[in-house]
Amino acid sequence: MYQILLVEDNADDVELTLRAFRKSDLLNTVTVVRDGVEALDYLLATGEYAERDANALPDLVLLDIKLPRVDGLQVLERLRANPRTRLLPVVVLTSSAEPRDLLTCYSLGANSYVRKPIDFKQFSRALQQIGSYWLQTNQAPPIPGTA
Amino acid sequence: MIVTGDDPFRAVFASHPLPMWLYDRETSTILDVNDAALAHYGCSREEFLRKNAASLALPAVDRRHGTDASTNDGPEFELMSHPVDFDGRPAVFVSVRDVTALRRVEHALARAERDRRRMTVEFEEHVRERTVQLQAAVSELEAFSYSVSHDLRAPLRSIAGFSQALIEDAGDALSADAYDDISRIVAAAQRMDHLINDLLTLSMVSRSGITREPVDISDLANRILAELGDLSMTRAVGMRVQPGMVAQCDPRLVRVVLENLLTNAWKFTSRREQAWIEVGEISRDGGTAFFVRDNGVGFDPTFADKLFGPFQRLHDASEFPGTGIGLATVRRIVQRHGGRVWAESRLGQGACFYFTLQS
Repeated sequence: MYQILLVEDNADDVELTLRAFRKSDLLNTVTVVRDGVEALDYLLATGEYAERDANALPDLVLLDIKLPRVDGLQVLERLRANPRTRLLPVVVLTSSAEPRDLLTCYSLGANSYVRKPIDFKQFSRALQQIGSYWLQTNQAPPIPGTA
Repeated sequence: MIVTGDDPFRAVFASHPLPMWLYDRETSTILDVNDAALAHYGCSREEFLRKNAASLALPAVDRRHGTDASTNDGPEFELMSHPVDFDGRPAVFVSVRDVTALRRVEHALARAERDRRRMTVEFEEHVRERTVQLQAAVSELEAFSYSVSHDLRAPLRSIAGFSQALIEDAGDALSADAYDDISRIVAAAQRMDHLINDLLTLSMVSRSGITREPVDISDLANRILAELGDLSMTRAVGMRVQPGMVAQCDPRLVRVVLENLLTNAWKFTSRREQAWIEVGEISRDGGTAFFVRDNGVGFDPTFADKLFGPFQRLHDASEFPGTGIGLATVRRIVQRHGGRVWAESRLGQGACFYFTLQS
């Protein structure tokens, strides 16, 4: 069972993403967090997620850029600065393909950048491709401390 | 010793219009004075001769109209003195020079210089203010585009996404009419997505800098035509691209120009059985003009000037879909290169779009 963390504040996009994953044949659990603070708390096991096992990281993070409180770019920066989450596969999944967002995301160490298509069929296909590539085709990075 | 008699130089001295006198360098006794000096000081020869030379130094500079040199409009005088040998004794020759005109010029110059400095400072301040305002406007525009790019698309995804989800969920329960209605909603959301993309491209073109490098126009045109061909395999379009065309231009932006012109040519020839698209160059304006010619529906030349305005469309959207922003973007890019774009056509007889990339 693959673990996916979806960082997304738009409830409609959450619903559409979950819907797309339900239709895929990947066995997965999608955990949803609604902003950058919650995403960091979840992944670093701090704040409201202080009880969580910090070593239990998801297999893949789907990260939106425009988020309340702490935005996706800052989340990415913090994750890459932390030894435990430095190599965690992060796919930026966002509405825009603004050149400066692309540049910042890749500079900060995003593994992939996908613009959410408007068309739901294309959107579903994109998510299925992301899931199948990052969870099945790709060799995941070693878990820190075990390599 | 007063020089008298027939000495011709004495006569010159006495009648010279400039006030002049001589005094003994050791005793400061006045030795001689001319009429102009007496008139200047307003005293008789006897009075003048009783004066001490030192006491004449200052009053010679007339300050009757005030002491502030910069505001004094009255006459101004200056004493000029130099040592002379006067009949074997050391003396000083003094003359009074009227420097009124000189001072006025000097004051005017100083005033002009002060004005110039003040204006320079004001101008620089003005430029600074305008630059700050311009930068604010640019970053506002950027923030706006950024927000449009992110926030305007999200609701579209919901509209299109849930419409399609509705089709899936309702399945066979939907009547053909209901299915058609939902398809229209999806199509409209997609059109708006294209519109947003095109507007963002137009705004990007206005904001981004131009980097000129040699660009193989022929290669670029061939590639775009191949991409268009891949998108609609069913169409047979005859095309010719003049080989060896090169331009010094921004490759990314000129790709946008050619994409727009070729996509238009592709679109407006869709009704032709024997569609034909040609890309070439001609000499124009002392340089090279590139052209994209097609044998499509063309346009009414009466509206040729409207073609390049944003949101201007000369054809029914149901017939030939489009956002009306493409040619505005083309014009903007061409202008940013210092070139111009124009079009020739007759309704129903194809169109030809020309553009230059240098001023």
